[in-house]
Amino acid sequence: MTETAPSARSAIRYAQLLETNQLIQACGDSSYWLCLTRTVQGSKLYPVSAYILLSYLNAFYRYPSLIRKVEAVMPAEAIADRARQMGVKAQNSSIGWALPCFYLLGREYLINLGFLRPQDAIEDVITVMDFWKRFQLSWHRNDGHLTNADYNQRAQILPHAAVQRFAGETHKVTPGDALSVAAQRFLATVSQYGFLVSAESRISLTNSGPYRLDADRQLLIRDFMDLGETSLPWLDDIAADMPFNNLTVAMEVTGCHFHLVDDWGSFEATPEFTPDRLTGIGLYTSDTLSEGHVPVGMDSPDTLAAMLHDLADRAKAATDKLWLRMAGWSRDQLIDAGALCYYAICKEIAHIAGVFDPADWLEIDPRAERFRPLLSDEYADSALGELVGSLTLPSQQTAPHGMMKWSDKATRVMTPLPLSVLNGAPFLPRVAPPMPGGSHLPPKNDRYRTTRGVLSLAQYNAAARGFVPASCRPDENFRCETARAYPGAQP
Amino acid sequence: MTELPTDNSLWGGEPDSPLVAAVHLSVRDLVRRRFAASGLDWDAFVAGPIDEVITKDDLAAIDAAVLATGHRYAFSATISAVERPEAYQGLAALEGGFAHPDAPSAPPDPDGKALCGVGDNVVQAAADIVGVARYVRSAAQVIALMEAGVPDGSIAIIDDSGGTLTAPILDRFAGLVCAGGTVRSHLGILAREHGIPCLMNVRLAGVVDGDRIRLETTAAARTADSYLTGTDMPARIWKLP
Repeated sequence: MTETAPSARSAIRYAQLLETNQLIQACGDSSYWLCLTRTVQGSKLYPVSAYILLSYLNAFYRYPSLIRKVEAVMPAEAIADRARQMGVKAQNSSIGWALPCFYLLGREYLINLGFLRPQDAIEDVITVMDFWKRFQLSWHRNDGHLTNADYNQRAQILPHAAVQRFAGETHKVTPGDALSVAAQRFLATVSQYGFLVSAESRISLTNSGPYRLDADRQLLIRDFMDLGETSLPWLDDIAADMPFNNLTVAMEVTGCHFHLVDDWGSFEATPEFTPDRLTGIGLYTSDTLSEGHVPVGMDSPDTLAAMLHDLADRAKAATDKLWLRMAGWSRDQLIDAGALCYYAICKEIAHIAGVFDPADWLEIDPRAERFRPLLSDEYADSALGELVGSLTLPSQQTAPHGMMKWSDKATRVMTPLPLSVLNGAPFLPRVAPPMPGGSHLPPKNDRYRTTRGVLSLAQYNAAARGFVPASCRPDENFRCETARAYPGAQP
Repeated sequence: MTELPTDNSLWGGEPDSPLVAAVHLSVRDLVRRRFAASGLDWDAFVAGPIDEVITKDDLAAIDAAVLATGHRYAFSATISAVERPEAYQGLAALEGGFAHPDAPSAPPDPDGKALCGVGDNVVQAAADIVGVARYVRSAAQVIALMEAGVPDGSIAIIDDSGGTLTAPILDRFAGLVCAGGTVRSHLGILAREHGIPCLMNVRLAGVVDGDRIRLETTAAARTADSYLTGTDMPARIWKLP
């Protein structure tokens, strides 16, 4: 089950444990607040809780090795630099929350099943949390926080120049005009498609911002991701007519304040963001092969309205076809689609690094698969509810004087690494790399919709490895944004 | 009895749910027995053959043991009960209309309008909405409505707060009534995006397919604070003559 520890046990340092435990606690606090306030979704179509637990297990067994594979090519902070220029699944909900929390919740579940001690896989835990920290520091470098939660539920990810660009390029919208009607239809239809693509979850759409434009106007950025025939195998053929895999919508909103944009990419506004408050809109696509956000249909309000209607038509047609496909699936297929969609929520790090492999991201590892027979609807609903909501599993209880951040209970979501390893307590350094796995779904075809057309996987990975967006070259990436440079001090 | 390192939690008890507690005790007992039989220390046991000595079949046996007690699982996804009717409570729960025990009721007023439900309003509208109740609780019903079309003025009455079961037809309803979720659930988000009046977290009784109902969509939209503080902001549902 394990690989040999690559480093001496004495290499684990006190400060390293302290930092890792702080990051674990931050993830636990964030998870509890999100799960408490966002609500769990009920579904008659998908066994949601069952697939979520399976995805957590898969994440526990596989993420550390896959992160090491990615970082052998590109460090976390450089991946985040790329991600900041795109509307892909490498954002708050995918990396900012899901990557560490899926992994840690899988660990917590296994601790409660008796499969692990808190100190087991200690190097894996450190690897995951260190990757997450460095990604987040870079991702949030423009607002200087680690998470949206740290920033009082706000996500000012974009640099000033990008905000200026979006704000300057939006086409004005008047309630009831042709562009307004097209925008609302597009937003509703593609949102619906996104929920279905993501097996009942909201991970295909996310919001970031807000950005202040003036006293009465704010800019909210919404990303729709994984819409096309790219990395999700259940979209093979179904989404062949979707011309873009990712779409970013820049929304200028007048007369309401977005007081909350959380780490799941959900927002709340005061007063409520209703269609009549949308006063400007822009549409873009992007991926790891694009020079940032590429305008889509933005030549004029008329061309944009036509594009929005066309994309809504395509999303609606794909929704109907995909729904019929899913309605015919077995329970195992539904669970696999949900579990893989969840587990692969951070797969974009592999696309960015040019090392994506379906065997890494689109298979259930046998070590996770063996738990499937336990995952009845009732058990999974209850176990997940206790794991992320009521916090009533044994490992989640703390000393009686404890008071959790968001409640007065003596509980926590995630178990810290025990400091006793510094006294020589035995621990298992790592779990083994991914074992050959499988899925009840057809394998992914070799078509990847990108901004450079439809590529094979080999072409896509090679193109990603050979491409550095202009914004990520050192002269741009490290350009000073806090002061004008002295003449000649910067290129 | 062999003690597992994982038995040594300082503060832990057992899970709240009897089913979760039973399953977890069984799994830990399985690990304990295999650990003892292995003759290894814990490090070596976890590092070694655990994938082989605790298999999918072992864990399936725990599921079988639960069912052998006579327990039948409540289902959330219809497919679960369809594929394993011997393991799940019957699909009869989806037949007929909602009969929530905590649904409010009142005798008909002079106009024949009778209170029959209450829920959380997603978006406050200028007027209430009136339509014909239509339960949508299975994929077969959705397919039938895809083929025949959703009659004008239909108000969907659905279980799912997620919104995927009704994905192909959702935008064709005049109103939505959902027994689960909150105004921030996926269905609430979609209702807002589509501009469809919607009540979430509904408790409803006495409404069957074809009944004319009125939703109080003029009620204030339920706020995030009201959920955190547990303050009700009811929007009513009436059955019309």
